[in-house]
Amino acid sequence: MPDPGPGGPAASGSPGEPGPDAGAPAANKPLSWNLTRHARRLLTLALAGLGIAVVTGRPEFAGAAAPAVLLLATWHRRRPAQVGLAAGLTASRMIEGERSAVALSVSGAGAHEVQVVLHPAHAIAALPGRPAPPGQAAVSVPFMVTRWGRRRVGSARVILRDRWRLAEGSTELGLPRVDCYPRPATQRTRVVLSRLPTRLGEHTARAPGEGAEFGGVREYVPGDRQRSINWPATTRRGRLQVNTFQAERSQDVVILVDTAWESQDATGSVVDTALRGAAAAAQAYLNARDRVGFITYRYRARWLVPGLGQRQYYRIAEAMLAQDRDWTSDTGFSRLPRVALPPGALILVFTPLMDQRLVETLRDLRQRGFAVLVIDVLAGEPPAGRGRYARLAQRMWRMEQQAIRFSLRELGIPVAHWDGEQSLDLSLAPYTRRVMVTRR
Amino acid sequence: MSGRVWWRHSLIRLAAAAGLLGAGCVAWAAAPVSAGGPVAPLLTALSAACVAGGIGQLAADRVPPPGPGSYRGMPGRLAGWALLRLRQLPWAEGTTLGALALELLHPARPWHTAVLGAALTGYLLATHLAESGTARGAATAVLRGQAAVLVAGLGLLVLAAGSAALPSAGTGAAGAWLRVAAAVAAVLAGGLALPV
Repeated sequence: MPDPGPGGPAASGSPGEPGPDAGAPAANKPLSWNLTRHARRLLTLALAGLGIAVVTGRPEFAGAAAPAVLLLATWHRRRPAQVGLAAGLTASRMIEGERSAVALSVSGAGAHEVQVVLHPAHAIAALPGRPAPPGQAAVSVPFMVTRWGRRRVGSARVILRDRWRLAEGSTELGLPRVDCYPRPATQRTRVVLSRLPTRLGEHTARAPGEGAEFGGVREYVPGDRQRSINWPATTRRGRLQVNTFQAERSQDVVILVDTAWESQDATGSVVDTALRGAAAAAQAYLNARDRVGFITYRYRARWLVPGLGQRQYYRIAEAMLAQDRDWTSDTGFSRLPRVALPPGALILVFTPLMDQRLVETLRDLRQRGFAVLVIDVLAGEPPAGRGRYARLAQRMWRMEQQAIRFSLRELGIPVAHWDGEQSLDLSLAPYTRRVMVTRR
Repeated sequence: MSGRVWWRHSLIRLAAAAGLLGAGCVAWAAAPVSAGGPVAPLLTALSAACVAGGIGQLAADRVPPPGPGSYRGMPGRLAGWALLRLRQLPWAEGTTLGALALELLHPARPWHTAVLGAALTGYLLATHLAESGTARGAATAVLRGQAAVLVAGLGLLVLAAGSAALPSAGTGAAGAWLRVAAAVAAVLAGGLALPV
């Protein structure tokens, strides 16, 4: 793990940051028993019929009440006062839109039918399930998490009913917590820098090397491998010619997500869009064996030093969840820490470009010689109010936005717009078709 | 699944049956309206509203409650309030009481009341089966399990109606046999009434 810097790393496993709950030990819960709606209806018919019969002396009304009276007579007096409940989740870590289920084990219910009603918390959607048949101890209640975050599933109301559904006993049970990672957008192509560090990877570098990409043909010099001799070229030129290949290198990529500004509209939240884009980029570069680092910016920086592999992806995903609840107002941030930014790294910035301080930070990064590519995730604009001044304010806002983008381009920082709906490949196409030249 | 099989096991079928039985009970108890006095039309309208409310309650039970956290506008909150009331109010109890009150407004007619009692029992059972969301074939299983109790109840219903009609039937041998049968039925009912 990296050495925690002044802002503190956004790594998983920090103190007081437990993972999701897989399940809880069984606990005995007292039941409160009541009449069901069916029993109340039968009781109404029975009491009304018998009452009318007694008051008016008309026995046929007592007869009308007789079936209800006899159905109520099947009332079962032996009922459990408490049940043992243990709740767990079939999957406690998931991606937005994936399904999971609360696996509830009920003991001591006897022959009673068990039904579990999920009271979902925010961003949890209960899905239709089936009540457990009488005597079955395990109940599964499916649900879906609609928005990323670390949150409790909600609570479950466990209802026990007797055979004829005349009485029902119920109790409430708190459910475990779930970690939901942002759903990555689609990104298959990658932005590759012109200067790559001398580390073996999958990107074709300009320098000759031992890669698989054909570079050219040159004259043989002692020490060249015999297997690289190009025999057709040798025959044509009359001297030994060898094939040359280009080196394959990896690069360092740092993904910076600006979560300082939130804006919700019909198209969604800019923070959600930024995080989904960042997740897609992290996945794409890690798949190409690049080292990927992650920085969240919310008036101060929290970072993960670049790393490799699938484990790094989950570290990044955990870091995304950690920033969800950690609001700080430390405005002393002016330069991103050196430990988070390896020299020559490509910096991908997912931002709505609303914060002037971030723009200054990007300017600073550019001046330090980093290749920065901004992905603008602001999809809409403030609603236009009525009146002259409202229109004027909107015009000023638009001009301010244009000025920010213009100043970034003047600094040599390209800005690509991404709406969060289409593939990131489309927005990044001008930069993925050829290598991105790093100029100082 | 073919349309016919789907309809046979559909909850809409049970809800429709409950609604029709409820409406039938109210119509049966209200007829003839002229004999029920001035209160009968109002009571009929209220009972019919309760039948409609009962069907609405069955439908509202299928609507998932909105999750917390999201702000809903005025129409959304009004719809939520209406759904909550639709779920909470005792519509079927209202229908039952309305039908019995309508029947009471009319002069004594024992066999008419007996049919109403049977229909009301059917209405309550259909409502119960529809709101339970019972799986395919489970409705028949529930009814089969309670068949003995239901038959005994209907037997008592017939005997009660018969005993109510006795004065007009005279005090002959038939009347005596009916009284004996009523006593036997009462004993059987007592046995059945013990908790099972």
